[in-house]
Amino acid sequence: MRLVWGSNSLFGAAGTRTIGVLFALLLVAVVTVLLAAASALFPIEHVTIVYLIPVILAALRWGAVPALFAGISGIAFPAFFFYAPLYDFRVQSPAQVADIVLFVAVAAITGRMAVTVRHARMRAQAESLRDALIGSVSHELRTPLAAIVGSTSVLAQSPIVERDEHLSSLVRVVRKEAERLNGDIQNLLDATRISSEGIRPHLAWVDPEDVVSGALARKRHLLVDREVMLAVADDLPLIYVDPSLVESALGQLIENAAKYSPSQASMSVIARHSGKSIDIEVVDQGEGLAGDEVERVFDRFYRSPRHAGAVSGSGLGLWIARALIQASGGTIRAFSAGPGHGARFSITLPVDTQPASEDDADE
Amino acid sequence: MSDLSPVVLVIDDEPQIRRFLRAGFDLEHFTVLEEETGEAGLRTATLRPLDLIVLDLNLPDMDGASIVERLRAWSTVPIIVLSVRASDADKVRLLESGADDYVVKPFSMAELLARARTALRRQARGAQGEPVVRLGSLTIDLAARAVFVESSRVVLSPKEYRLLQVLAQHAGNVVTHNILLREVWGARHMHNSHYLRILVRKLRGKIEQNPKQPRILVSELGVGYRLASDSEAR
Repeated sequence: MRLVWGSNSLFGAAGTRTIGVLFALLLVAVVTVLLAAASALFPIEHVTIVYLIPVILAALRWGAVPALFAGISGIAFPAFFFYAPLYDFRVQSPAQVADIVLFVAVAAITGRMAVTVRHARMRAQAESLRDALIGSVSHELRTPLAAIVGSTSVLAQSPIVERDEHLSSLVRVVRKEAERLNGDIQNLLDATRISSEGIRPHLAWVDPEDVVSGALARKRHLLVDREVMLAVADDLPLIYVDPSLVESALGQLIENAAKYSPSQASMSVIARHSGKSIDIEVVDQGEGLAGDEVERVFDRFYRSPRHAGAVSGSGLGLWIARALIQASGGTIRAFSAGPGHGARFSITLPVDTQPASEDDADE
Repeated sequence: MSDLSPVVLVIDDEPQIRRFLRAGFDLEHFTVLEEETGEAGLRTATLRPLDLIVLDLNLPDMDGASIVERLRAWSTVPIIVLSVRASDADKVRLLESGADDYVVKPFSMAELLARARTALRRQARGAQGEPVVRLGSLTIDLAARAVFVESSRVVLSPKEYRLLQVLAQHAGNVVTHNILLREVWGARHMHNSHYLRILVRKLRGKIEQNPKQPRILVSELGVGYRLASDSEAR
């Protein structure tokens, strides 16, 4: 991995600025020397335009303050060295005054643009650094986690542990917590993917039933004691989406419902067709949502103050679900009759014109 | 190849992963060989008779898919790929270059062992020409081209039967959408993935107890379909 820091971060921001100012003045001096050498060969009248070069370079490389210094010295130097009276800061000719006014205007505009470009570049570098870090850290965490989950699964099967109720319950704890950690890492990876590259869906025709049963199978370990009622309408149309994205999003809703409702309470997963769309819903009998939470639950890092301490979570799950569904051209919404009355989360996906001819599919 | 103790070759560069794989396979009375690199793994595969290869996708010296391709040039030994992060496209590429199955890290030993036994059983059935596949209430007699649910015969259309046949030949392991499309409709229809979705739905209606919660014909979203192993289907 390549680390990209701002220039001269060794010296801190103030040090960088001082160095920038010095370099900017040096650039102006160099330009002046070159102009002086040139003016010995042929007469030069309107020179200030050349002083735009140090301004733009300073703005791009060191930011606004050094650019300002380059601008001021870019007026002072020609006034002193090239404009009559020579070796005096006074300027008499109206043409040269106009020259300087023009210079100030152009320098202000281009300098500001260059500073904006520089900020954008720095922000992009910081973001790509952060994403690379998160990506590689997540990957590095997964490998030891694989060893933990694998090893505990072997322990759980070994006759000595199987015989001892205490030991086997400890092994189950390690296993369960490792799997939770794995889920958190997956969320972190998904969140990075969403914010860094955006999501590029791989579209295909999918049977919504497969999406529902896939998401349920993936979250089976969270639903062991729970009755899940499945109501999938007959003859649902095929949908043209990225199946992995929709399955992950639905998985997030199922996990959310399991997390915020009593472990024995039943849950329903409903899929139905209405007009030009299909709805996939997860209905729970859990803690419900209060007031504006039906909107805010989808915000990044939002956690309800009612259980921020009691139930662990990162506040990423529903935000990820919404990003995945939006990338699939759908919408996601939350409904609740209020705290204590359960919640209903609904994914709506557009139904395109169904693909041609089933007759061909089986003859 | 020993009948009593199947030989498994583990190719993985992480020592802690190899350690638990060895312990887990030992519990099930496998003979375990270990290699750390793709080159060494390929060499061992040519020297020793093997019943199964467990291959890590991210080896330091070689790309997993190219190891699978090189193994498949001369060997039909079942290959199960382990990977820490694989996109659907990666999985499809591995399966189509000849891997039998994949397991995403972290996984439990029980899961890997179930896949391993499925692969071994299929290999054995292929070797003996065993024509009957049983999955819970479903029986597929490949020789008689007949399918039974709870001992009553089910009438399938030719394409439904062909789909079931291809899946049964790989019973327990994933078959990619592309391979199924090619085997059932021919290479011309590879892009018509919706044919497959529709046919799967019809077939499930005939062989599943509850077609909306399929236990026999299982979808691996974005990758393909597989017939469940006998224990899953019950």
